[in-house]
Amino acid sequence: MSQRFDVIVVGAGPGGLTAAQRLASRGFKVLVVERGRKPGSKNVYGGRIYAHVLDKLYPEYVKEAPVERWVRKERLTMLTKDSGVTVEFEAKATEHKSFTAYLSNFTEWLGRKAEAAGALVVTETPVDSLITKDGKVVGIKSGSDEVYGGVVIVAEGINRLVLESSGLAPKLQPSLVGLGVKEVIKLSRGEINERFNLDEDEGLAWALAGYPTHYVPGGAFLYTNKDAVTLGIVVYLEHGSKLDVPVYDLIEEFRLHPFISRLLKGGQLLEYSAHLTPIAGLKAMPPRLYGNGYLVVGDAAGFLLHLGVLIRGVDFAMESGRLAAEAVVKAHDEGKYDEEALSVYQQLLNESFIMREFNAFKNAHKALNNPRLYSDYVMLANAFMGRYFDVDGTPRRLWDTFMRAKGNLTLVDLTKDALSLVMNL
Amino acid sequence: MGATVISSANAGSNMGKELTIIVPVKAAVPNITAVRLDPVTHNLVREGVPLMLNPYDRNALEFALRLKDKYGGRVITLSMAPPSGKDFLESTIGMGADEAYLITDRVFAGADTLATSYTVAMTIKKLFPGFNLVVMGEETTDSTTAHMPAQVASWLSLPYLYYVVDGEVNMEKGTIKLTRYLEDEGVYEEFEYNMPVIVSVYKDSNPPRDISLNRKIQAKLSGLVKSVTNNELKLDPLCVGLRGSPTIVAKIEDAKPIPRKKQIFKGDPREAAKWLIENLIKEGVIKP
Repeated sequence: MSQRFDVIVVGAGPGGLTAAQRLASRGFKVLVVERGRKPGSKNVYGGRIYAHVLDKLYPEYVKEAPVERWVRKERLTMLTKDSGVTVEFEAKATEHKSFTAYLSNFTEWLGRKAEAAGALVVTETPVDSLITKDGKVVGIKSGSDEVYGGVVIVAEGINRLVLESSGLAPKLQPSLVGLGVKEVIKLSRGEINERFNLDEDEGLAWALAGYPTHYVPGGAFLYTNKDAVTLGIVVYLEHGSKLDVPVYDLIEEFRLHPFISRLLKGGQLLEYSAHLTPIAGLKAMPPRLYGNGYLVVGDAAGFLLHLGVLIRGVDFAMESGRLAAEAVVKAHDEGKYDEEALSVYQQLLNESFIMREFNAFKNAHKALNNPRLYSDYVMLANAFMGRYFDVDGTPRRLWDTFMRAKGNLTLVDLTKDALSLVMNL
Repeated sequence: MGATVISSANAGSNMGKELTIIVPVKAAVPNITAVRLDPVTHNLVREGVPLMLNPYDRNALEFALRLKDKYGGRVITLSMAPPSGKDFLESTIGMGADEAYLITDRVFAGADTLATSYTVAMTIKKLFPGFNLVVMGEETTDSTTAHMPAQVASWLSLPYLYYVVDGEVNMEKGTIKLTRYLEDEGVYEEFEYNMPVIVSVYKDSNPPRDISLNRKIQAKLSGLVKSVTNNELKLDPLCVGLRGSPTIVAKIEDAKPIPRKKQIFKGDPREAAKWLIENLIKEGVIKP
């Protein structure tokens, strides 16, 4: 007994479910296969979704989606063991630009949308590989079961085992990914509002560098939900060997840092998780995003834009899901799902904000992969501030203070690194 | 190993019909350490917690499916759970059950094992009066009472055998030969019963088969998971749910975790192994 669908989507995350919802609502017979217990149960992210895609795709999200808080406060801290330099931006405008959310809840909501449109979502079922016949992907294999489809949308996330086992993507290189660990700490809504200086539905997005990763490339994040705080660490895997402690110890130390622990005092650990995340922009993409009978969307396609403070994945995933659906519709109108017909996907991607942004930031990773950013400059900023504010009767002229604080950094390093950041970010 | 024939009151009433096996299953809370207890009732908070099929129920279902594979007939799973229980019942269809029933109604909420077993037993009696066998898991992983099979048997006034590992059906005679395994004694026992009979399956027997994607798709497309509420069952509201539950959880206490000793032994692996074993014996973790 084996079934046939118009479209099979591998993975019920934001990308796969958006594609499924779009196609099902146009009358396509869609199957979504998810290995987790429910849509979103395998998703892990820092904590924030940029809303611009939702405005177009699901305008009703403001009322319906499980939004936690609207981000109105952005904070960046260069942290050492006992000091920190922070830049903060706060806007009073109530425009809805980005919000914190539990990605699992949000994705579950997308799952309900896809099901309401008529897609069949089957959970707790891992897909082992794609079925290829005469060079064309014709279905999926799960255990001893085979299911056939006109076209397969691979939305399996960054750990792309299906693409790898089907020979459509090389094994992930450590230089392309970061390892993230994350905790959710429960606090009362009042405690969060008070400790983070927030109004009722206002949220904070906070990125930190330096001490949290023991000065190895990567960073820490903290987001406020309604009555919980999510915090975590991302370490560039390529530099992981330089760490002197395991990553799960880093998050513990971060949580116990005097500046953080006082904010989380009395909190209760609700959950912890870990996940790989693409960090290398264009380079993290598999060689092809489409082929004979298949398309790749979301993290599996490498669609995560990492610009240090700005980290965006969900909006790219959903937009790529939308474009994949559009490509399938166009190919269907042509009557075939071969490589040529599906190449319209790449074209749609190129015209969309996805490739425009990825191309604009194609060297961002190179600039951000500079170890000095996470060590020397964190030290410099803290030493400079520490010295400048330490009034003891000797004059603290800016330039002198700076020259003393910069340590081993040369002015040439400084100029080069500054230029690299300004040119590439 | 002795064979005993035990008669039950309605023995032989199903002769000549196809074998009908009912497998009541539980939507268990997957990670028992991560759930909350209601501060007032001290009951497990199940709302908002993703539910999974109690692992031992899969062995029970496997036992039932093996009988079906051999003797034909049909296997029906059922569960009393919130509406979200539909998903995990679909996975029982995925394993091979023919259909599934979700018993769901606000009036059933807050039930202890007595009220639950009553609801399950009465549902079986009403919906499947001609059943031959009720097969259940040894216990659940989230409450481990092992009450249910015995209580269901009591409500239905039927014999009950536990730790079952194997069965042979004789449809003509309406009997079943059951083998059970007693772990501590390390012995197998054989019994022969007139059906119907209630069994619970030894948790380390009958390793469950894979869940089939195509069957799960079928479950959704053909609506093989059906819901029943008390509108259809018409059970006495005083006997079900919180009102039918005499159990009172008087007090709960946190177990204090034992701090780790964090001892590290460095050096020759042979010496390290010796050191480790000596210390584990000293701590009473293993016996010499």
